[in-house]
Amino acid sequence: MKFFLSHRYKKIGVMLAPLGFCLWLVMQLGYIKRLLIYIFGQINGSYEWSVYHIVNVVAAVLGFFSFLIGLYFISFSKEKIEDEMVQKTRLDSFQFAAILQIITIIIGFLFIMFAGDLGESRMMLFFIVLVFLFWLSFIGRFNYMLHVKYISNDKYCKRRKDKEAVYSSSIS
Amino acid sequence: MTNTVKEERIKKQFTQAQLAEMIGVSRQTIFSIEVNKYVPSVVLSLKLAKAFGKKVEDIFTLQGSD
Repeated sequence: MKFFLSHRYKKIGVMLAPLGFCLWLVMQLGYIKRLLIYIFGQINGSYEWSVYHIVNVVAAVLGFFSFLIGLYFISFSKEKIEDEMVQKTRLDSFQFAAILQIITIIIGFLFIMFAGDLGESRMMLFFIVLVFLFWLSFIGRFNYMLHVKYISNDKYCKRRKDKEAVYSSSIS
Repeated sequence: MTNTVKEERIKKQFTQAQLAEMIGVSRQTIFSIEVNKYVPSVVLSLKLAKAFGKKVEDIFTLQGSD
């Protein structure tokens, strides 16, 4: 439990991860390059050695690592009240994510065996998806169990702000 | 496993939040225990029993399927 971050990192992660993903996606779709060409005009000489290419690479690295760090903050930050139910839910969610990843790997390799070589870039994409699948399924299940399923019938939760209502209804 | 946490809590006139604070867990955990969505550990069961001034076996009962 020592390597878990405090609860405020979760909020930072929630903001950082989508921003990083959007930046990475924008770069992948070529919008940054188009924007640079629109503002500064066409490239003189080779694109590989141009400032445009460097800006693209920096945007990609920045976006990718922001997304990863955001996911790390969300996954490894404590809840407001960290008790045994939260810890058990976290452990169960890790197990769920691991099993889902193993199933995906098996299906992926069966697909490769029967469909043939996918090519280097598609294989790379497959492995990136595998990594993100683990973390996203973990985060999804953990938060669903904790904030939706466990309290789905909790009538007091709907009126959480009204403490007096909580008090009177729970002892009546 | 069934439990009488809700009945004991109402008898003692505790709110879920008060009971949660007494034994150092979240209110959602108390709710989950009360509706049998979560089975607490031995430590938490002992804490609950202590808060109600009862024995653990008076609060938690095994069912035929356990």
